[in-house]
Amino acid sequence: MERSTKRMIIIASVVLCVLIAVFAIVYKMNKPSANAGSKDIVIEVTGSDGKSTEYDISTDSQYLIEAMDELAGNGSGFSYSGSDSEYGIVIESINGEKAIFDQDNAYWALYVNGEYAQNGAGSQPVESGSTYTWTYEAAK
Amino acid sequence: MGLMVALIEASKLALSSIPNIELTSFWIIMFTLFFGWKVIAVVIVFILIEGAIYGIQLWWVMYLYAWPLLVLITRIFRKNTSAVFWAFISGIFGLCFGALCSIPYFFIGMSTGGVTAGFRSAFTWWVAGIPWDFVHCAGNFIIMLILYRPISTAMKWMSQGDGVTGS
Repeated sequence: MERSTKRMIIIASVVLCVLIAVFAIVYKMNKPSANAGSKDIVIEVTGSDGKSTEYDISTDSQYLIEAMDELAGNGSGFSYSGSDSEYGIVIESINGEKAIFDQDNAYWALYVNGEYAQNGAGSQPVESGSTYTWTYEAAK
Repeated sequence: MGLMVALIEASKLALSSIPNIELTSFWIIMFTLFFGWKVIAVVIVFILIEGAIYGIQLWWVMYLYAWPLLVLITRIFRKNTSAVFWAFISGIFGLCFGALCSIPYFFIGMSTGGVTAGFRSAFTWWVAGIPWDFVHCAGNFIIMLILYRPISTAMKWMSQGDGVTGS
């Protein structure tokens, strides 16, 4: 192996290692955090017909997806399904209503206290007193 | 050119069920090493086909600069023939893909709340995807490390006498 090739490999490996370290630190310092403990929240579902159903739940869940699992398992009538993607779980169906973007030209949008959520269900922190709204939205 | 686009699309479809594991980076690097700037045409057709199949969404805007950037990077280091070196380059590209793709979110945020909102929007989007950028990085690195030699040998063999290699 030529000396210049060796040098390039060493430089590339150092660059990669530095980037990994920087990315890991940035992620650790800024990842969505959650407070553990009992929290009273509302999970609201607004279907394609515009009708809303509210579910009150007291939970120790850190992330919304855990609260949704809890809600789905406690006989409330709430149900959902989804698939994994590079940015976490993508919600495809809620209470039996399917909204898969590629097939239905619609999706389940998440709002937190009326604001469009910055995180998906798997990384959305649960905070007591908050309302998490899933809304069926057709693509425009 | 059609064969190259077909290969990229088929590989992408075959691995679509595994998030952030892809052969697109690998093929674009290999094609650029062998065919030079001609690959820009392949990248353009690939981007247009992706838009036609999946619709012109925000991710499509990211494709417009991310893949041509990989061609440019490959051209800069084209004289290097080490599989390990290209594994590192492919890994770095995979690691930075999320950061590259966060750029449109800066403009979206900026349009509603100024430059600060733009940075916050792009930063939040990038940070949320960092774990998957690590997966992308590892996938790209391993794929290149394993496939560089055999595919390189096969492409040299196929292009012998055809005069199709780039300068």
